[in-house]
Amino acid sequence: MTIRQLIYRNFKKNLATYYLYVFALLFSVALYFAFVTLQFDPSMDETAGTIKGAAAIKVASVLLIAIVGVFLLYANTLFIKRRSKEIGLYQLIGMTRRQIFNMLSVENMLLYFTSLFIGICIGFAISRFILMILIKITGIEAIANLHFSTDALIQTVIVFTIIFGFISLMNWIFIRHQSILNLFRVRSKTEAKIGKVSFFQILIGILGIALIAFGYYVSSRLFSGDATIERYLFFAMLLVLASVILGTSLFYKGSITFIFFLIRKKKGGYLSIREVLSLSSIMFRMKSNALLLTIITTVSALAIGLLSLSYISYYSAEKTIYEAIPNDYAIVSHEDGMAFSALLDDHDIAHTTTEVDFTISHADLHDVLGEHAEDFGFKVNDTPMIVVSDKNIDTIDLQDNDTVFINYSSSIMNILTFNDTGTVQLSGKSDAHDLKYQGLEEVYILPFRITSGGFPVAVVSDSVFHELQADEDPDLEPFFQDFVGIDLKDKADVDEAEELFHQDISQYAGNESRTASFQYQKENMGITMFVVGFLGLTFLVTSGCILYFKQMGESEEERPNYTILRKLGFTTKDLLTGIKRKQLFNFGIPLVIGLCHSYFAVKSGWFFFGNEMLTPTVIVMLIYTALYSIFGFLSVLYYKKVIKSAL
Amino acid sequence: MTILQAQKIYKSYGNKLNRQEVLKGIDMEVGEGEFISIMGASGSGKTTLLNVLSSIDKVSQGSIQIEGNELTAMKDQQLATFRKKHLGFIFQDYNLLDTLTVKENILLPLTIQKVSKKAANSMFQAIAEELGIYEIKDKYPNEISGGQKQRTSAARAFIHEPSIIFADEPTGALDSKAASDLLNKLSEVNEKRKATIVMVTHDPAAASYSSRVIFIKDGQIYSQLNKGGETRQSFFKDIMKTQGVLGGVHHDN
Repeated sequence: MTIRQLIYRNFKKNLATYYLYVFALLFSVALYFAFVTLQFDPSMDETAGTIKGAAAIKVASVLLIAIVGVFLLYANTLFIKRRSKEIGLYQLIGMTRRQIFNMLSVENMLLYFTSLFIGICIGFAISRFILMILIKITGIEAIANLHFSTDALIQTVIVFTIIFGFISLMNWIFIRHQSILNLFRVRSKTEAKIGKVSFFQILIGILGIALIAFGYYVSSRLFSGDATIERYLFFAMLLVLASVILGTSLFYKGSITFIFFLIRKKKGGYLSIREVLSLSSIMFRMKSNALLLTIITTVSALAIGLLSLSYISYYSAEKTIYEAIPNDYAIVSHEDGMAFSALLDDHDIAHTTTEVDFTISHADLHDVLGEHAEDFGFKVNDTPMIVVSDKNIDTIDLQDNDTVFINYSSSIMNILTFNDTGTVQLSGKSDAHDLKYQGLEEVYILPFRITSGGFPVAVVSDSVFHELQADEDPDLEPFFQDFVGIDLKDKADVDEAEELFHQDISQYAGNESRTASFQYQKENMGITMFVVGFLGLTFLVTSGCILYFKQMGESEEERPNYTILRKLGFTTKDLLTGIKRKQLFNFGIPLVIGLCHSYFAVKSGWFFFGNEMLTPTVIVMLIYTALYSIFGFLSVLYYKKVIKSAL
Repeated sequence: MTILQAQKIYKSYGNKLNRQEVLKGIDMEVGEGEFISIMGASGSGKTTLLNVLSSIDKVSQGSIQIEGNELTAMKDQQLATFRKKHLGFIFQDYNLLDTLTVKENILLPLTIQKVSKKAANSMFQAIAEELGIYEIKDKYPNEISGGQKQRTSAARAFIHEPSIIFADEPTGALDSKAASDLLNKLSEVNEKRKATIVMVTHDPAAASYSSRVIFIKDGQIYSQLNKGGETRQSFFKDIMKTQGVLGGVHHDN
């Protein structure tokens, strides 16, 4: 057999074994090429004007290549180790290291560049589809019309060739540093011996769980108004990150072994076949797997966290805008309002005009907010507050000594907690009114631009309002004096109205169109979603593949065990139930802990991103879990193959 | 009482064009409580014989009955169950699971048989003490010697009191002291527990511990020796003599 034939046969065999590697490679190349194509596409420039789409995609493609690079290098180390025996054999029959390296390189090159070529083809095919997704989620009006970009092709080929260079370098170093003997030994060497569980290990295990719990605790306190944490916010965040990651690592190193050890000890040597294949096998490998599991857990947590947060902001965009801009058009001067209304009349666009009269007062809120609110950077007993009369709101009718708060931003309410009842003092220049606070109402009548970004507005009875208005402290004079809200009667008129609005009225600061703001918000959130979504998917695919490859290796190392067990009379089915348990653990634990981490991460700061946490987070988690499970399922199939051929 | 009966068993590998006959019509019987050795040169088919007798491999032709159960008629699933309940195995390379302690390895065959934990423990204690491995019960296979490993393997084969124990070159990887220790234990267990043992070996000294030796040559039974009332030493000499006649590469056409 000539070397060429050898290469060809190896290539064919590897293709069958490493189909998932080829898939991951295809996936990354295709995605990268699609991203770069978008980046070089002239149609992105149009949309890029406002949202810097091309820049975002460029950042995404750099991150993508970083993830993919690490993945390919890591996968390569796993593969080259698996083939060490084969390499030893070539050395034994007298091939030089250079010859072996050349042979492996040619083989690798075939696999790699074929995938690269196919990946680019797929990438071009899907780039249009990806652009369509982008258009869909950002709501940008553009035509999905892409041309094959030579620049993109060259960039993709260069980048992946550089990665290939690194892979070859690694292979060369690996082959270089092995003697024939080492090559034969490498597989059995990697496993650490397991002995008794020491006291130290128990300590490490407990410490791991404690560190994770501590990290979760601090994360939940991050934005709860604790003065010390607020002051050192950055350090507190670093502390959370460090303690959770370290805790996770110790958890795998110590806690799991320790817990398993306790279970095993309780069994007193009487292990069922399921436990033999799951419990003891996992314990046996825990030491060498701990680092990988920690990395995968952290990466999953990161991916899920980012996905959740970006989805939260995308998901909440509409609600946020409806809170911030209560009418179709929010105009902050009487003249502009009237002018726009007249303009709409001229064009026969039916609309309603709502003018809201407001004033500003000193508010003493210490009784309803509690003293700790001082930490949020305003004076609780003397804060400027917008006041409106209850006649503006149909659903609210108040006595002279009552007040309710409205127009609050949901995000702010997540950090600022009002008591259910209490006394609020509103005062003008000379007079003060002690009012009974009756609670919060979900009513929005003023844009957040007027209410300092979403601070609540106090509603009082009409007479109190007039007294306060007459007594207004000139020092407090608000930036905007009037507010005119205009709502279209027929939403079909929106395009024409938008055009009129942008011709003239929009150039004065503070006048806002809800449609335009919403579009702007959606574009921003959409592009973030898009980028984070695809990066998250890449994280998922690469980490899933790594776990799968690792399991592939493990199953082959355990093959002799399956032979023994089958000789003893255990059926394939018996063994598979054990394997399923083991895979449930191997894939499930990093996932569950990753989900847990990301849940706490999201929970600690989600309110900066939107006003709805549960639904978007749960949706992201479910999708992630479902896609991730595919890899676990595939690994069980691989085990099945190995077990079947074991006897 | 006959516990195993094999009639005219043939085994061949390969396809029609390139057929390699390994077993060519072997008849044998094993009585209850017997300790039988199968001897033969490399390639004579002794391991293949053991594999087909123990249901790990299938015969091409012929019938094998163990306690009246026809092995050749059984499906894979049934065979597995049969092995689990009725057979015990000892292999040259021990075949212990590295991930399990000595005790866990030994108790493995019991876990499928709904034996209570208490009963299992007392069974374990009895067999482990007999084989002198009770002290190392919590050690892992990589922490014990080859002899101890093989005795662990033997204990695993005995613990569920199978009808027959098959041993494939059990002393192959042991030094002479460990080997004679193991064989002494095996014949002790054979006598005490009335355990039936079928052992493949190429070592005449090992074979001399058994009560009957079957010689295989080129896939056929060449001759048999009975120990009868002889001492082990004189039985050993007989075996050596037969092996001398048997050995060598000459081929009778």
